[in-house]
Amino acid sequence: MHFNKEAVGNPYFSNPEIDYVYKAKIEVYKKNFGGILIIKKTGPESHRVVFTTEFGSKLFDFQFEGDTFTKHFIVDDLDKKFIVNILKDDFRLLVNEKAQVLAVYESENHRIYETTSGDRFNFYFLEDETEQLQKIVNTTKTKEKVEIDFTSHEGNIADFISIKHKNIKLTIDLEKFKNE
Amino acid sequence: MSASEIVAFKGKVIASAKTTKTIKTDFVQYKHLDFLADDVKTSGKMVFKAPNLVKWEYTNPYQYSVIFKEDQLLINDGGTKSKVDIGNSKLFKKLNQLIVNSVKGNMFNDADFTVSFFKSPKYNKAVFIPKDKKIAGYIASFELLFNKDDAQVYEVKMVEPSQDFTRIVFSNRTLNSTINDSVFSN
Repeated sequence: MHFNKEAVGNPYFSNPEIDYVYKAKIEVYKKNFGGILIIKKTGPESHRVVFTTEFGSKLFDFQFEGDTFTKHFIVDDLDKKFIVNILKDDFRLLVNEKAQVLAVYESENHRIYETTSGDRFNFYFLEDETEQLQKIVNTTKTKEKVEIDFTSHEGNIADFISIKHKNIKLTIDLEKFKNE
Repeated sequence: MSASEIVAFKGKVIASAKTTKTIKTDFVQYKHLDFLADDVKTSGKMVFKAPNLVKWEYTNPYQYSVIFKEDQLLINDGGTKSKVDIGNSKLFKKLNQLIVNSVKGNMFNDADFTVSFFKSPKYNKAVFIPKDKKIAGYIASFELLFNKDDAQVYEVKMVEPSQDFTRIVFSNRTLNSTINDSVFSN
């Protein structure tokens, strides 16, 4: 049996020993881009998020430390305020490890924890039996904005992650590199 | 290298590039980021056909290929095919030209770089530093390592201004086998 939590967590990028490396496929307004997404927990409240092309050239290199966002590098073509803001918000949501719970709901298979961040709300869907995080839905007061789905086969490693935007045509699909 | 060694080395690379009509080779790519425990490793095959057709095919840990053909990139990302026009991006064109030319090794006459030469018992090294400020914002230096015996490129290293780098190491190279043009279509 599980019990209600005061804080809800995302365990998928929480181990500083692990290099989290994913093949990324991005579809934006029917255009496709690929690359490699690399995430590393670099401090108690710090994550580094780097996106490169398949050839290894960096497209962006961000750091999230508590509430502080640092743009170490971004290619000129992506260095536009609205793009940076989308990337910043998506990846902050993805790597954020803990949030205070405002309310708890139940659905057929999930216990749902509501949290807040700025003027947005996040709903963390934990599967009933395993308490595994399966989904985060980011909303305004009235509308769903972003949904992140996690597929995990073992422990705290997400094998597949899908980030879908509801108000713009943007999907980011991530598949974990398999160990040799 | 001394001035005369540079002349001899360049001559050997240019002669070798001239007789190289096709190349087939395996490669392993290492992406080094300072904060990672291990380099990000990917691998696959590269095919080159003179004068300027190149296909990079990653097979591990994912399927991804890109063909450099005239002013286009033909991409197949695990079954998702796309085309990128690079005609109007000077920077992108330069980067692609570098990749194509580095396969052959013959890029000593590129006016956009300052070139210096180094030798060791096993290999010769050419280091290219971009003169253009915009390119220098992306690449601090570009290094090619050549086998001493056959003057073929066996390693390419692209160093970023942050000192993070990408290293590509070639192995199992076959020269001048017949390669059909159809290899270079998506």
